[in-house]
Amino acid sequence: MTASVTATVITVRLFAALREQAGWAERRLELPAGAPAPTPANLWRQLGLGETLPAQVRVAVNQVFASADQPLAPGAEVAFLPPISGG
Amino acid sequence: MADSLQENGALQLQLHPEPFDPLVVLADWQRSLAAGGTEPAAAEAHFIGRVRGITAAGAPLEALELEHYAGMTEAQIARLAADCAQRHGLRAVRVDHRVGRVLPGDTIVLVAVSADRRGPAQRGGQELLEALKHEAPFWKREWSGGVGTWVAGNTAY
Repeated sequence: MTASVTATVITVRLFAALREQAGWAERRLELPAGAPAPTPANLWRQLGLGETLPAQVRVAVNQVFASADQPLAPGAEVAFLPPISGG
Repeated sequence: MADSLQENGALQLQLHPEPFDPLVVLADWQRSLAAGGTEPAAAEAHFIGRVRGITAAGAPLEALELEHYAGMTEAQIARLAADCAQRHGLRAVRVDHRVGRVLPGDTIVLVAVSADRRGPAQRGGQELLEALKHEAPFWKREWSGGVGTWVAGNTAY
C-alpha cells in the first residue's frame, strides 16, 4: 500500500451485555480504500455479532444516536448499545 | 440552541465514580446560582434516587454496577437537559449520576431544576429524569449472591 492510498478506519465499540457476549470491547477495522462505505448494520453482520441487528440494540455514530443504515465516514466511531438502564 | 444551557452555566453536570452527598451538591448548586447575583428562581424541583436493597427478581442486592459510555453519556445528558430546559422554560439544571459500583442506600442520581413556577419545575424535572433513564447511555448490573445480571431496561416509574 502506498502513502497516497488511505484505508478507511472505523472503530467499533460494544457496551455492557453486548461486550460480554462478544468477548471484546473495541475493534479497529481497516477497510480497503475505495470500498463502499459500510453501515452499522453491515458491520454487525461482518463482525459475527449476528445476522440482523436486533430491534432493541441502538446505534451511535461519533457518540450521537444514529440510524443503523447510515453509511459510515472514514474515522467514524460506531457503538452498539444494549437497552439503556440508567437513573 | 442545544449547547446554550451548558455554555451559559445554566447546566451543571457531574458523573461520580465515588459516593456523593446530594444535599451537599444541592447546597453548592444553589450557592453557585446565587453567586451570579440574580434573584433566586421562585421554584425548584429536586429528585434524589437511591439504590434499593433488592434485585428486580426480589433477591437481596449486594451492589449495582453502573457502566457508561464516557463522552457520549455526558454529551447526551447535556442535549436532553437543553431540550427539556427549552420546552419547559427552565432557568437552571443540575444533574449528578453515579458510575461504577454503587451500594444499596447510596444515591445514584440527583436531578435539580429551577424555573419561575412550580408547574414547569416539576414537569421539567420529571421529564428530564425519565429522559435520562431511557436516553442517556448507562447500563446497570445487579450483583446478588456473587452473580452479576445486566438489567434489561427500566421499570415504569
